Amino acid sequence: MKPSKQHSAKGIAHSVRIKARKVTAFIFLMLAILSFPIKTFSAETVKFRYLQSVYFDDKGGGLKQPEGVACNEKSLLVVGDTGNDRLLRYSYQDRSLKAGTEIKVQQLSNPIRLQINSKGEIFALDGKKRRILRLNPDGTFKGYVDAEGIPSPSTFVPRSFKIDRNNNIYILDVFSARVLVLNADGKYQKQIPFPKDYGFFSDLSVDSKGTLLLVDCIKAMVFSATKDSNNVSPLTKNLREYLNFPTSITTDNRGTIFVVDENGGGIVILGQDGSFQGRQLNMGWNEGLLYFPSQMCINDKGEVFIADRGNSRVQIFTLVK
Amino acid sequence: MILRLKWFFLFMGLILVLVFSAAYGQQNKFKLKPGAQGKLCLECHDAFKEKLKNPFVHTPVKTGECTECHHPHASSHGKLLDEDPNKICNKCHEGIVPKNPKSIHKVVMEGNCVKCHDPHASKNKFVLLKAGNELCFDCHKNIGNAVTKAKFKHSPVEKGCVGCHEPHASTKGKKLLKNDLTALCVSCHKTDQPNFSKQHMNYPVAKSDCSSCHDAHGSNRAGILFDNVHTPVANKTCTQCHETSTSPDALKTKKAGFELCRGCHSTMMNDTFNKNRIHWPVADKVGCLNCHEPHASPQKKLLTGDMKTLCGKCHIDTMATQEKLAEKEKQENAAAKGRVIKGAMTHNPIQEGNCEGCHFSHASDNAFLLKQASTVKLCEACHDWSKHTNHPMGEKIIDSRNKNITMQCLSCHRSHGTGYRYLVPFPTVTDLCTQCHKQYKR
Repeated sequence: MKPSKQHSAKGIAHSVRIKARKVTAFIFLMLAILSFPIKTFSAETVKFRYLQSVYFDDKGGGLKQPEGVACNEKSLLVVGDTGNDRLLRYSYQDRSLKAGTEIKVQQLSNPIRLQINSKGEIFALDGKKRRILRLNPDGTFKGYVDAEGIPSPSTFVPRSFKIDRNNNIYILDVFSARVLVLNADGKYQKQIPFPKDYGFFSDLSVDSKGTLLLVDCIKAMVFSATKDSNNVSPLTKNLREYLNFPTSITTDNRGTIFVVDENGGGIVILGQDGSFQGRQLNMGWNEGLLYFPSQMCINDKGEVFIADRGNSRVQIFTLVK
Repeated sequence: MILRLKWFFLFMGLILVLVFSAAYGQQNKFKLKPGAQGKLCLECHDAFKEKLKNPFVHTPVKTGECTECHHPHASSHGKLLDEDPNKICNKCHEGIVPKNPKSIHKVVMEGNCVKCHDPHASKNKFVLLKAGNELCFDCHKNIGNAVTKAKFKHSPVEKGCVGCHEPHASTKGKKLLKNDLTALCVSCHKTDQPNFSKQHMNYPVAKSDCSSCHDAHGSNRAGILFDNVHTPVANKTCTQCHETSTSPDALKTKKAGFELCRGCHSTMMNDTFNKNRIHWPVADKVGCLNCHEPHASPQKKLLTGDMKTLCGKCHIDTMATQEKLAEKEKQENAAAKGRVIKGAMTHNPIQEGNCEGCHFSHASDNAFLLKQASTVKLCEACHDWSKHTNHPMGEKIIDSRNKNITMQCLSCHRSHGTGYRYLVPFPTVTDLCTQCHKQYKR
C-alpha cells in the first residue's frame, strides 16, 4: 500500500521537527560545554578565603614587621622577618603549618623581597645594602647576585626582583631605569628600559607566558612587555579608583594579576589584559584584614601568603571561585 | 508663465516681510518707544549717569543697549541678567579663549569676568577695575609682595604683568606666558652677547630653562637668582657637577643620580645609605633631583616646592584623602551652626605640609621612615597622651588582637585620618573599644 500524500507530508514535517530538536539540543550542549570553563576559571569570581596567620617562629619568637614572603609548589614558605633581620622557613601542607626555622645569615639584614627558584635556592633582597643574596636550600649563604657582565652603567639599585619558571632572574633596577634579565647563574642576558612616561616602579612580576609586568605606585598603573619584547607599555589605565598605593605585584598560574595596595590594605585583581576584576580584603587589625601589607605570593594550589607588615604577621588565604 | 512669475514675486515678498519683521523684533524685542532704550533705564538708575562719564564705557552701555545683558521685567539670575552671570559675557566675547590653549586664567575658566572688568564703565582701558599690576596683585598677593620687597627688580614686571603673560589664555606657554618660557626670555636677553656668555660661564644655556635659576619676578640676589642658591652655582664652579663648557656634552652631569651629589654631600649620603630603610626615590635615576633643585630655588634646602606639594607629587592618595577629610570637616562644622564639634578629622602636620614632623625624608631605621621606632614617643613630641587616656600603653602592653603588636597610639588612631573624629577608624568610640573589649559589645 502506497502512503497517501497527506501521510508523507506529515512524515516530512515530523522528521524536520526531530532534526530541529536535535540541532537545538546540540547548540545547547555546545553552549553548555563552552560556558563551563568560562564560568569556572573566570577571574571575576576569585575571592580570598582566610585560612590562618603566622605569628611565630618554632621557638615562639614573634615576627616583626615582615615585608618579604616566598612560596613554591613543594609546600615551602619562606618569610622575610624584616624587623628581626632574619628569614624563617616553614612548611605549609594540607593546611597545616610546620616548623618556622630561623635562617640567620650574617650578610643579610632587612630582607624586603624573597624568591625561591626551582632548585630550592632562596633569594633575598637586602633593603639596607640593596643587594640580592643567593642562599643554598639549607639556608647557608651562597653568594650575591651581582649581574655579571652587566653593560654600562655598571651601578644598579634593585628595588625588587622576580625569578621565572626557568630560573631567570629579573631585577627592577631603579637607578638606571631598566629591568635587568639574568640567567639562572646570575649572568647578564639583556636589559629592558623603563618606558618614557612613568612615575615610580615599585615591583615587577613575570607570568607563566613570560610577560613582564611592572607596577607603578605613583601613577597607579600596571605596565607590561611581552616575552622577547623590549618595549614596556601601559597595560592598564590609572587604577586610582580601585587602589591607593600599589607596591607589590604577582600572578597565579593562570595569568591573573594580583596587585597589593599597601596604603589601602587590600588586593586588586586584574585579568591578563589588565581589566579590573575585583578588590579583596580590607584594612584592619583583625585576622583576615591587612595593615600596610607588603609582598604577596601564590602557589600552584591557589594558596596565598601575604606579608602583613603593619600587623607583624603573615596571613594565609586560599583562592575560591 | 506670467501667473507663475506673479506667484514667485508674491512668495519672495512674503519672505522679505517675515525676515524684516523678525529682525526688527529681535532688535526691539521689548517694543520700546523709538529713542527710549538706555535713556529709559537711566530715568530710574540715576547713579549710572555719573558712572557713564568714565573714559572707558562698555559698548552696549554706550549704545544704550541695556537689554543686551539685562531683562527689564524678570529673570532667573541676579541683577535681572539675561543669562547665567558666568556665561553672559560669552554671548559677545566668544573667542576670548583660543582653541587648544596651553593655559587658561582660572577666572576666565570660571566665567568670573567681573573679577577684573567692570561690566559698565571704568577709568581704565578694557574697562578694567584697576590699572596695571595693581589689578593682578589683588589676587596674586604673594607675587605682589615678593615683587615689592625684591632687592633686584626685573624691569618688565615693573612695566606690567601683561608684558609676559596673556590675561585670558595662552596657546604658547604655561602659566599664561605669551611664549615658551625660554623663547620669551631670549626675546630680550640676547644669548649671543659676550656678557650673557660670561655670566653663564660660557655654558650653552640658550635653550635651557631660565626659571631653574632665575626668579622672573625679581629676587634679593644679583642676577635675580632665586634666594637659595646651590653653592657651586653661587661660586660659579659649574664643573663641580657638569662637564667643561667646551665639551660637546657641556650640560651633561659628570655622574648620574645620587652618585653626583655624593661627591660633596658624602656624610649625609653615607648616613642615608647606612639606614635600614631608604626613601626609594633617593636611589632612582633622578635621585636627589626628585625633591631638590640643582641650581637655585625659592624654597629652603633647594626643595622643588613646599613640602605639601612636593610629597603630594608622589603620595597622591595621601594628599587626596587629606583634602577630602578637610572638606568633610568643614562641611560638618558648618552644619553644626556654631555648636563646637570635638575632635579633629585631619592631622595638623599634614594639613600644614609638615611631613617631616613625623617622617625622615631620606632614610630611617624605622618603618614608614618614621623618626622614632616607638609611635608613643613620636606622638609625645606634640601630644601629652597621658592627659587624654589612662589606657595602658607601651612596649610591655600586648594588643589583645595580635600578640605581635603592642599598645600604642596607632592602635586606636590613624595618623593620616580616617573620616572620623579623633582620627579613630570607627564611627563611634564604642565601636573602637569593643574591638578588644568584646565583652561590652552589644
